[in-house]
Amino acid sequence: MDLITVTREEGLRFSIRIRNHVMTADMSVKDGGQDGGPAPVEIMGASMGACLATLVQAYCNTRGYNDGDVAVSLTIEMVESPNRIGGFVADVELPKDVPEGEKEKLKKMCLRLPIPASLRAEPRVDIEMF
Amino acid sequence: MEMVELGGKQVEIDEDGFIQDPEVWDEAVAKDLAKTEGVEDLSDNHWKLVNYLRDYYLEYNMAPMIRKLCKQTGFSLKEVYDLFPSGPAKGACKVAGLPKPTGCV
Repeated sequence: MDLITVTREEGLRFSIRIRNHVMTADMSVKDGGQDGGPAPVEIMGASMGACLATLVQAYCNTRGYNDGDVAVSLTIEMVESPNRIGGFVADVELPKDVPEGEKEKLKKMCLRLPIPASLRAEPRVDIEMF
Repeated sequence: MEMVELGGKQVEIDEDGFIQDPEVWDEAVAKDLAKTEGVEDLSDNHWKLVNYLRDYYLEYNMAPMIRKLCKQTGFSLKEVYDLFPSGPAKGACKVAGLPKPTGCV
């Protein structure tokens, strides 16, 4: 996996660099930022949505389902004590020619994708301060 | 907490605009709360969501999970956000007069 670096721009706005790609993260005005980009929790939701979308689109491409594109709408349910993500809720729109009978199979495949599977396995978070 | 006029009466709201006493809620309050969320007119579909949330809250004393809200009302997630751009928690629950959800929607 390539290195991901997060460096401060201003206030609570940070640049996220992955290879030659740059994204911005910030907090909302209400949470002390300037809303210059999505909040880290929203980026996590976006990662989940992109993970689902790419797998399902790849599956459809392989099987020749091409009457429309895959699209994902997703939101996050937050819970307290401690404040954290309680759940991801995603609607996945499929090409119209995906047979009804394959939808349940696709749903099961989605749960085995790297991001959903990692979250369910509680990955280790190893942090050092310098 | 502050007092504001909603639906022609003085109503206490928290820092995010959620009413503090669900008992003071009525349709006029809902219409004014909707305006604070950028929804100028409540359509039948808005009311379908609002009434479902309200009925669920009155029965279970909590907001429903988002998936349950979608399944029971027949709206997709995108349609819920089209109706209430700030989402089911910040938007729809506020208009339905529910306390600020700590989880779920």
